[in-house]
Amino acid sequence: MPDIYSDSWYEAVRDTINARVATLPERDVPRGSWHAVVEIVGDGASPYVDAESVRRFLVRIDDGHCAWYREIDTANPDGVDLDYRFVGPATAFDEIAAGTRDPIDAALDGTVRVRGDMRFLMRQAALVKTLLEAYTHGVQTEWPQGQPPYNGSGGDA
Amino acid sequence: MRDTYDVVIIGAGHNGLTLGSYLARAGLEVLVLERRHEEGGGLCTEEVTLPGFLHNIHANYHTFVDLAPPVTDLDVRGHGVEYVRPDVQMASIYPDGTALTIHSDLDKTQASIARFSERDADTFGRLHSEAHGYIDLLLGTLMYQPPMSVKELTKALAAFGVEDRSEFLSVKLRRETINQFLDQHFENDKVKAHLAFHGAVCAYTNDVAGLAIGYPLLIGKIDNWHLCVGGSHRLAHALWRDLAQNGGTLVTCAEVDRILVDGGRAVGVRLGDGTEIAARRAVASTVSVEQTFLEFLDSSATSEEFAHKVKTDVVHKDWTLFSVHLALSELPEYDAAEFDPDVNRAWVVNLGHDSLESLNADWATIRAGGLPEPKPNAAVNSLYDPTDAPDGCATGLLRQFAPFALADGGEGAWERAGRWYGQHCLDAWRRYAPNLSDDKVLDWAVDTPLDITRKLVNMPHGDWMMGEVSLANMLDTRPLPELGQYRTPVEGLYMAGSTQHPHGYITFGPAYNALQVMADDLGVEKWWREI
Repeated sequence: MPDIYSDSWYEAVRDTINARVATLPERDVPRGSWHAVVEIVGDGASPYVDAESVRRFLVRIDDGHCAWYREIDTANPDGVDLDYRFVGPATAFDEIAAGTRDPIDAALDGTVRVRGDMRFLMRQAALVKTLLEAYTHGVQTEWPQGQPPYNGSGGDA
Repeated sequence: MRDTYDVVIIGAGHNGLTLGSYLARAGLEVLVLERRHEEGGGLCTEEVTLPGFLHNIHANYHTFVDLAPPVTDLDVRGHGVEYVRPDVQMASIYPDGTALTIHSDLDKTQASIARFSERDADTFGRLHSEAHGYIDLLLGTLMYQPPMSVKELTKALAAFGVEDRSEFLSVKLRRETINQFLDQHFENDKVKAHLAFHGAVCAYTNDVAGLAIGYPLLIGKIDNWHLCVGGSHRLAHALWRDLAQNGGTLVTCAEVDRILVDGGRAVGVRLGDGTEIAARRAVASTVSVEQTFLEFLDSSATSEEFAHKVKTDVVHKDWTLFSVHLALSELPEYDAAEFDPDVNRAWVVNLGHDSLESLNADWATIRAGGLPEPKPNAAVNSLYDPTDAPDGCATGLLRQFAPFALADGGEGAWERAGRWYGQHCLDAWRRYAPNLSDDKVLDWAVDTPLDITRKLVNMPHGDWMMGEVSLANMLDTRPLPELGQYRTPVEGLYMAGSTQHPHGYITFGPAYNALQVMADDLGVEKWWREI
């Protein structure tokens, strides 16, 4: 199993997402390219993101499939016209990756803030749900520094 | 004023100025034309009683501060706007002397509600927390985007399983009234009356089917009411300043007579004095649908069918507001302060409605053209903005729900009824605040529903929301399906005022959403689109 937030973990997530998207009817997979930034904000609880620091991942979606991702060190990468930004505390993102927090609930209760064309996301509910399902449950993840909810010792809870 | 601009905007209310500023910042040559002697439209502050008393004649409550993108995009605070968020936002004083207060502090609001029903206090806390959580998402989805259809929206809500995740959001709300929503979730009549009153002040009439769908959003911002220090017109000044600093031009006392059309495309306007101004890229109207399509355009510019729809299908609110502006030598002191001292610091007070039935009965009276026994709401801006009155004095604003046309004499009857009804409203206030004797009321002036339409001609029928607020006149069908996405049957002509989604009030929404559509059509770089 890959470590959370490692290159191999993201590649596994990407492959899982793309495999699931491939099963969707064509009408549920919009054509076009989109860029999204995921901002994971250190909250002092997650051992994966230092408190008060931010890890940012830029993801490109082509025709519903995850084309590539990369960790970036700026909020607004040069030469990229961003379509979406997802911002939230590291613990929330860790819990989503662990499958213990529902990402839609996290957006609804304001824990994860979404910026971008919400109409498009609403209209592409089937694709969005598939992407989220793959992200949350598609990859078995190793938690070397502990899985949320953390027990404060840095070990597995 | 030159003879050619990229974009000509008709109407310098907050939507016209906002649209102009965004486009000017994008580098377009923009002209905003205003019929009145000053910019602002409903952002209108005047000394209608005595010198030094600043009265907001129309827009008084700014409930989308820091929720609407233009507030930050156009840096209205940097242009001199100062907002105050009163700590006691609103209250209801009931005929039996009890009172309920809504605070900026949720705990205090819940404590006030708990004096009537602990269960309702808990329910309100859950509703407020839930609504506050998704307000950002809802605003981004529903308010500050060109609208989806109700069908699309309900389909998405179902697909994401929102109904299973929420205690309060449900697809069935699109068929329900706010009364039904409140009856399902709350038990105490006075609590329900206050929450319905809050909806009504936001133009969401509590007995209209379908409006429950928007009610949780209203609760999410129930404690976000702001006062514009120095009067609401300050916001208009700030928007004008932004427009001017970015190269835009505002011309007042410039009444549009015609929108010029050539080859099916809007190419400019002609003013009442015959001056013609060309628009290279677009004309945007922020005034009423009737003015735009029946007065400003030749009948040949649109189809007969469309013109007929404008005449018959544009629906206006079936109630409006009667206002009394007062110059006071002291602040009101309510008898109900014995029950809850905070009522004396409440910015806006509902005087008398203590049940849903009380509100329902008044709507029925109003729809029949009658004048209800006054149960006005009273706003005292000076509590939080002492600059709006001379030292030691205060302004007061009484607002009473009322019909536009009276059963006896139509709208013209307001000429004789205005002062008489104003006295009744003042008497109603005095029953709750007996210190406001004749010698404490230095002067007062009325603003009748007829006055609204006379002063702001883009608000026919005294319709301060510039279109009925109902499910049938919401989202992409407001004000007509043909106009629901801000484009019109005339190429190059856009609708960008409160006739459009989301609706009236100081939301900035119609202009912001029209801007997105115009930017797409005109190839304007979206400098404001910070993701």
